Amino acid sequence: MNLRRSAIVVVLVALVATAVTVTAGARSQGTLSGAGATFPAPLIAVWQQEYKRDQVNYNAIGSGGGISAITNRTVDFGASDAPLTPDQFSACKGCIQLPWVLSATSVMYNLDGVKNAIHLNGRAIADIFMGNITNWNDARIRRLNPGVNFPDRRITPVYRSDGSGTTYNFTDYLTSVSPSFKSRVGGPNTTVNWPAGVGARGSSGVAGVISRTEGAIGYADIAYALKNHIKFAAVQNKSGKWATPGLRSIKAASLADKKFSKTNELSIVNPPKGKKFLRAYPISTYSYVLLPLKTSKAAQLKAFVTWAVTTGQRFGPKLIFQPVPSYVLARAKSQLTRVKS
Amino acid sequence: MASVSETVVDPAAATLRRRGRFSPGDAFLYGITLAAALSALVLLVLLARELIADAWPAVQEFGLGFVTSRTWDPSTDVYGAATFLFGTALTSFAALLLAAPLSIAIALFLTELAPRWLRGPVGTLVEMLAAVPSVVLGLWGILVMGPWIVEHVGPFLHRTLGWTPFFKTEPATGPSMLSAILILTIMMVPIISSICRELFLNVPRELREGALALGATRWEVVRGVIFPYARAGVAAALILGLGRAIGEAIAVTQVIGNNEAITWNLFDPGDTLASRIASLYVGATTKLQISSLVYLALILLAFSLVVNLLARVIINRVAARHQVSA
Amino acid sequence: MSDHVLTAKSLTSEHRTRRRIVNWVVEGVATLAALTAVALLLIVVGSVAKRGLGAINLDFFTKTPSLLGFDVASSGIANAIVGTFVIVGLAVSMALPIGILAAIYLNEFAPRRVQSVMTVAFDVLNGVPAIVVGIFVFVFIVSGHGQAAWKGSFALAILMLPLVTRSTQEVLALVPSSMREASLALGAPRWRTTLSVVLPMAVGGIITGATLATARVAGETAPLLFTSALAGNAVSWQPDEPLSSIPMFIFTSAEQADPALQEQAWGAALVLIAFVLVASMVARAFGLRSRRRLTGGR
Repeated sequence: MNLRRSAIVVVLVALVATAVTVTAGARSQGTLSGAGATFPAPLIAVWQQEYKRDQVNYNAIGSGGGISAITNRTVDFGASDAPLTPDQFSACKGCIQLPWVLSATSVMYNLDGVKNAIHLNGRAIADIFMGNITNWNDARIRRLNPGVNFPDRRITPVYRSDGSGTTYNFTDYLTSVSPSFKSRVGGPNTTVNWPAGVGARGSSGVAGVISRTEGAIGYADIAYALKNHIKFAAVQNKSGKWATPGLRSIKAASLADKKFSKTNELSIVNPPKGKKFLRAYPISTYSYVLLPLKTSKAAQLKAFVTWAVTTGQRFGPKLIFQPVPSYVLARAKSQLTRVKS
Repeated sequence: MASVSETVVDPAAATLRRRGRFSPGDAFLYGITLAAALSALVLLVLLARELIADAWPAVQEFGLGFVTSRTWDPSTDVYGAATFLFGTALTSFAALLLAAPLSIAIALFLTELAPRWLRGPVGTLVEMLAAVPSVVLGLWGILVMGPWIVEHVGPFLHRTLGWTPFFKTEPATGPSMLSAILILTIMMVPIISSICRELFLNVPRELREGALALGATRWEVVRGVIFPYARAGVAAALILGLGRAIGEAIAVTQVIGNNEAITWNLFDPGDTLASRIASLYVGATTKLQISSLVYLALILLAFSLVVNLLARVIINRVAARHQVSA
Repeated sequence: MSDHVLTAKSLTSEHRTRRRIVNWVVEGVATLAALTAVALLLIVVGSVAKRGLGAINLDFFTKTPSLLGFDVASSGIANAIVGTFVIVGLAVSMALPIGILAAIYLNEFAPRRVQSVMTVAFDVLNGVPAIVVGIFVFVFIVSGHGQAAWKGSFALAILMLPLVTRSTQEVLALVPSSMREASLALGAPRWRTTLSVVLPMAVGGIITGATLATARVAGETAPLLFTSALAGNAVSWQPDEPLSSIPMFIFTSAEQADPALQEQAWGAALVLIAFVLVASMVARAFGLRSRRRLTGGR
């Protein structure tokens, strides 16, 4: 009976296959899965290699994706440069955010024949991204850079098309230096209505488009500019000095806010005028890890985050991540006790 | 045949079975196959229900004005689809404009004009173009076609057609509406040409041979016999190709630049319904934004349904007419 | 014939030269069009081959991806290959049985009216864009529950179903009804006839249709964007967690600025194209042969 025999064979094979699949990998206990911001991703990539206790998987899908992933409990931890809004906190149903990384958003540009670290102040940057300045040889740019020879080349602003905490940081800065930006474009937010330019996915995507487009200008964490050999601008802070993203300028900016909000938020964008902030780079920001308050992986998550804000910070400076100050470390340790299983 | 001889059964038992019209085995098979056949309907109903349910907050908030509103502003949580409808329409129809003559010419080549030994291989190659995954076409579009447009094709188009609103500025970036249009054209051509090829092959031989007997050239046969006969079918093929272009998300989102402006300048970036859903859905942060994106998906679904049914209606009418006149 | 082109008057020898020239021009244009399409295919496949070949080595198939561009030289897409295998395999196991059963109903049991209505449903399902299917599956079973490879398979299965059903239906229709009638005349019940007579004859065509549908969905990215995208770097065969896949790898690597990562994207594209094209061509050749056997000889 050919039919019956082949049916038996098929069923047996299916059973064996199922058994093999089920036993071949019982879900490994030592995995932490996370998703979110591309801003801290370069440092988290190093952590993935250096952290030995568990295997950490991280998907850099943007802060918006991280917030929605942790809200849906699709991952064990989320990451976002944009602090959660009250609505997002309530949607998350018992989440906590902790600053764990400190760095800066660079304003990167691709322009042949022009040196690194050209001067761009907040107004100029806002005008560029609003589409008011459309050519590199515009007087408003030349005025800030005497002696620099700008070619006749169209400016292509590059922004984040996905939900991005870097966009939040960047628009936070632009709305504080340009009232017309605030009214025309809006923000700070993880997505805004950019009037001009091209969108790209992720900080890598922004770096990609910029490196392929002559005359492009965009924003991403400084690590991406350095890694892809893209030039970045010096931005004028409130004290009138020109600062580039670097460990010292980020540290100076971090002094702008030492007082945690109730949700552990620290806002250090565009520090005020003052002797402390002479070197401050005005588009610096903390990035946050998002944890559920009640999770079966509480012990592992706490161990990982504690390691990240202590030992993990050691790997930061090479990628221009300034180690977090001691009060951030203290706050993390005390707040982590709220995470329970 | 071996399998038939296996079903030879005892004649007495066969008589018994013939008495009852449906044996339990038959009923079982009938049951599970009917259930399987209903799966498509069930899936469609589920699809519509889930999408409508999730889009409902946006539908309630914006109503039908969503379709005409040009605002897509996450800062104020106000959303509208007009920009993406424009982008979808512009890219799809422009691609159709390019793909239609190309595909019909290819179908003609493969059915009438090519030497017989060439038809098979070339036909296969054209169909292989349909097998290229859209993410690979998008990759090629980003890294090969985009720079090529910016460096060579773009300046040429700007010089010659710069007086039209379509090529007003110098091409600046690879990601642009033009890139999306070209990629969509490449995707549509194999679909349209394979359907047209079937249509042209189905033209009754007597009609073709009659024309040839009268001394018509090959082109005159095409113009006088094949085109009039296959006209409606070709229209259906074009509509189906259009449907493909409207729904393409991945390749388009890779090359179109994701900008929310309504612009006729093809060197500018833009966005389509499908592309916007693909780029924003993962990172949408407010409930209203999420349901606005599902609202976009609903509009996209409605378009593809209309397109499909339209093509079907045409095909059915063509089939009926040809059956009657045969 | 409605057109006036072929009147006796227009076919006179007076215009013969001009008509010949017009014909010649049109034939040239059509040839050019076909050459353009072939050239496009060769350009795309050629680009992928040229740029991707450099990334192909043993490491590419056995190692896992580099973390953000560190150590690209000794990284690979092993987890994506395994993930695609699992996801597509599950999709086939979901879509194939249902598609075949549905085709059996449509071809063997359904009255004409019912058959045409249901065929419309399958055709409409076929026209639903992949991204909409992805959103549907996300909203239906992922939102609030988490991503998983089998949920991605479910989305791919929805895309495969109309293709498998239609191709199986076509093959079943090609089976001569004399075979069915002979079997029924001998007293075999309908179900026996279908399983032992009709299906075995159609097996070749069914495999062809299934292979073509598989090749089609193996390259789909949109349905996986929301159902199986948050995958780990390690090789995993678990269907209940999100797994990496080759299309998703290409999608995310395509936009990187790092040329080494771009090369890997090309390499993955080469692997994908090779699989899709080879599977399609083999299926088509096999299908032609089995179809000829069904309709031509015995």
